Amino acid sequence: MLLEIKDLTLLYGRIQALHGISLVVNEGEVVALIGANGAGKTTTMRAISGLRPVASGSITFDGTDVTRMRADLRVVRGIGQAPEGRGVFPGMTVMENLEMGAYTRRDRSEINKDLDMVMDLFPRLKERRKQAGGTLSGGEQQMLAVGRALMARPKLLLLDEPSMGLAPMLIQQIFEIITRINEQGTTILLVEQNAQQALSRAHRGYVLETGRIVKEGTGQELLHDPAVKEAYLGVA
Amino acid sequence: MNFAEFFGNFPALTITGLEQGAIYALVALGYTLVYGVLRLINFAHSEVFMVGTFTALWTWEALGYNQNTAAPAFGAMLVAVLVGLGAAMAASALTAVTVEVVAYRPLRKRNAPPLAFLITAIGASFVIAEAFGVGTHRAPFGMPVMIPSETLFTVFGAAVTNIQLLVLGVTLVMMAALDQFVNRSRLGRGIRAVAQDADTAALMGVNKNRVIMLVFVLGGLMAGVAALLWSVRYGYTKFNVGFLIGLKAFSAAVLGGIGNLRGALLGGLLLGIAENYAAGLFGGDWKDFTGFVLLVVLLMFRPTGLLGESLGRARA
Repeated sequence: MLLEIKDLTLLYGRIQALHGISLVVNEGEVVALIGANGAGKTTTMRAISGLRPVASGSITFDGTDVTRMRADLRVVRGIGQAPEGRGVFPGMTVMENLEMGAYTRRDRSEINKDLDMVMDLFPRLKERRKQAGGTLSGGEQQMLAVGRALMARPKLLLLDEPSMGLAPMLIQQIFEIITRINEQGTTILLVEQNAQQALSRAHRGYVLETGRIVKEGTGQELLHDPAVKEAYLGVA
Repeated sequence: MNFAEFFGNFPALTITGLEQGAIYALVALGYTLVYGVLRLINFAHSEVFMVGTFTALWTWEALGYNQNTAAPAFGAMLVAVLVGLGAAMAASALTAVTVEVVAYRPLRKRNAPPLAFLITAIGASFVIAEAFGVGTHRAPFGMPVMIPSETLFTVFGAAVTNIQLLVLGVTLVMMAALDQFVNRSRLGRGIRAVAQDADTAALMGVNKNRVIMLVFVLGGLMAGVAALLWSVRYGYTKFNVGFLIGLKAFSAAVLGGIGNLRGALLGGLLLGIAENYAAGLFGGDWKDFTGFVLLVVLLMFRPTGLLGESLGRARA
């Protein structure tokens, strides 16, 4: 397996945000992590990428224990993330933002190839490549965040709410791109409130409630699970 | 108010103002770089400059020059000035990095509140200044004359000296080099990334501590250049020479928009010119008074300074 999380707990001050989470992502999979607001989805992502220190438990990535590794070193190991709220550098152009994604790489000719690849994937970014990141629309910033994460050529791509705030047509589009990225060989861990889309595209999924994993299964199993349907899919 | 004298000396006051402002600007870059990345006013930066001036003095003394030696011939002068420049830049950068590693980094590790950083910055400034004060018996030191001042040409009746040209020229070259580095190079992009969003920068693989180290080094190098220019131009130093220059450079950084490199240059030059106009109008005693009144008044109308902040969040 590419990522293995065991009994992870995490504190925000005195408040316990994660109560012993365990999950696994295998190479080549799309895994969805669904749950309501405040369930701990983003916190889990930040623990994996190293932005929040964990209290106990372990995170193993690609055979290495990364539980206490600095965030920037995890990027070098192959964990890429498009953060929640997109995290586009507002004062940098689209091109500079994409270059930031390749910050740890020195293979100039390969970087240029990947720039072309990302521009092909998101033609809008090509049109706006000289524009400041802060002036893009929400959807464009989302594309930029995903494209920028790809520029690191991650083994594992963490996507935190990629559909947040997007128009329905764009949501469809971004999920299609996620599927395509996965088919090209990138493993994906996806956090989503849009459970319907996420589960129908994921190989497997986990349901997070108040800092605990309450259910797991294949995407299809969870899609048809009555409790999941009622809580997250808006159907009784 | 002495309008006749003011208008009579207007060109000369402008040139002197630009010259002094250039030194403020070089020092201001250090405040602005560190602030942009850490949101910290590094008060010890005035001492980074002071250490540079003493290093220039001691380097020249080691090379056999003192106040009584005649100015060296061109070749020897060039060597002495360049060696002094290298030494001052190295010493200033080393001082800046030492302050970061000894004083600020341990606080960051413990997530200390901003007030702790502020007190530490003021403390570090005093410790370095006082250490030099004790070590040098609080005496002023005259420096050897490396480049004798000579008038090259006149503009509207005002003499322009070789030293004034040197100070302005070097400042503009250093400024342009730094601007290119921050805006065009990979490491420069790393600095801007941390300034704009430190968490996301980490997700791009940027080592924050290395970027912080880099801005202290860059600020120190610029302060070292300023220290050498100061030594060539004013020819003296003292343990507390950094205090007023540091305060004015910091004001210049705020005036131009702290966090903005070009703002530091603009703020420095503007402050230098304003001070000298004030000296011409009201007399030399009013120089420092006017500089700070200008700062306060300008901030009332433009709280983020003339150019706002660009190393960090863009004003868009």
